[in-house]
Parts: sequence; structure tokens; C-alpha cells
Amino acid sequence: MTITDTGLDATFAALADPTRRAILARLAQGEATVNELAEPFDLTLQSISKHIKVLEHCGLVSRGRHAQFRPCRLEPRALDGAVEWIEESRRLWTERFDQLARHLHDIQRPTKEPHHD
Amino acid sequence: MTEATSETVELTITRIFDAPRELVFRCMLEPEHLTHFWGPTGVSTPIDKINIDPRPGGAFETVMVNDATGEEYATHGVFVEIVAPERIVWTEPDMGITNASTFIDLGDGRTEVRILQSNLPVEFTSDEAQAGFQSSLDRFAAYLTTL
Repeated sequence: MTITDTGLDATFAALADPTRRAILARLAQGEATVNELAEPFDLTLQSISKHIKVLEHCGLVSRGRHAQFRPCRLEPRALDGAVEWIEESRRLWTERFDQLARHLHDIQRPTKEPHHD
Repeated sequence: MTEATSETVELTITRIFDAPRELVFRCMLEPEHLTHFWGPTGVSTPIDKINIDPRPGGAFETVMVNDATGEEYATHGVFVEIVAPERIVWTEPDMGITNASTFIDLGDGRTEVRILQSNLPVEFTSDEAQAGFQSSLDRFAAYLTTL
């Protein structure tokens, strides 16, 4: 669990924005220029560029070196830490709740044998 | 919209238990119950290592012990809000995590428990924030399945 990790905080902050998630979803289909990314949104190029900079900052997106277009590319490995934290938390609570359900079953039927799945 | 800092990332876990709300609520606050379920699979939480002071500002501390290795993992929580039998909020300052649990009486002897876990200061875990249960992370998780 590395929630206090600065990199992870930056990743979560970047993912919290719906526009940025939409940009990532678009890039999951392949590289795109800033112009192409701006098309589906009612936003200025400047605003889209700001979002892309946030995504670049936490490593979720990289930019090509082509001088004219500099296409954006998804870097899915940057999601690994965030996904790991989410999965770890979900697993912890799922297992905890499984055991709580068994415990509640047991204490409400004290004369029967403890229930085990 | 352009600033990420004011936005929230939350994780919600919901479960329905076949037990009355008062009992489920007590299970989350009383060591003799917590010891039965607090550690995940393969991990025990000995009753003598659970320290609960159920009031705002009070301690919510546990030590989870790995059954195989004996490795210990201590948690240090502080209660923020306790409204019996409806709601318990606690923070884990070391982890930067706030947990808000809500207990809903379903009216048929069952109880729904919602845990809203967020990596945010407690002032952001308002009712408004909780209303946004289709959290960013849920949508993000759905997005991940498309990758």
C-alpha cells in the first residue's frame, strides 16, 4: 500500500478528471495529436494542452518527437501503481466482509455448528 | 475543470449482510467481533491487540498478524464521527486514507454496509461527496477493462 507515494497521488489526481479519463480512453485506441484529442470536447486547444501536460507529468502520456505534430501516446504502465492500490483495497474489504458475513451467521445461530464456506 | 487538486478519487465497497443493523454496527466497533473478521484471508487480528475508543478523536488501532510468517502490520486510525447505528468515519493519518462506513437498515432484517474509502482529508467526505457513489475509480475501473 503506497497511497502516500507522491507519484501515486499525482496519478490519482490526474485520473480524477473526466476529461483526462476520456483523453486516456481515446489514446487507448492509438496515438493522437492534440488537435485530434480536442475534437470530441467543447474545449479550447489550450485547455486540452493543459490536461495533456498533467497526464505527461505523472507519466500516463508521452509525446512523440515529431516537430510538427508530436502525437500523444498512452503509457499504460504508469497505471500499475494506482491499479494495484485499488485492487489491494478491494481485496482487503471483500475478504473482511466475507468473514464478517460468516461471523454474523455464526453468532445469530449459536446452537448450530459454525458455518464455513 | 482544469485543476486536479480540488477533485476526489474514491473507492466504494458495498455489501448486504443478513443481520440487523444494530448488530452489524456493533461488529465494526467491538474487539470481540472485530477479531473474527478484521484481518483478510491468512491474517489474524488478536483481540488483545485491538484498541478501540469509540468517540470522535478516539483511537481505532489494530495489529494484523500474518498467520504464515508472524509478520505484524499495525494500523493507527482515529475516529472522526460515530452515529449509532448509522455511520462510522475514521481516518488513517499514516496512510492518508479516510474511511466512511454507512449502515442502512433494509427493513427486512438485512443491513447494507457501504465503505467509502478516499485518499482525501476528512473535510471532503461530506454527504455530497458520498452521493457521488459512481466514483471516479469505478468509472476508471470500467475503463481499464477496455484496455
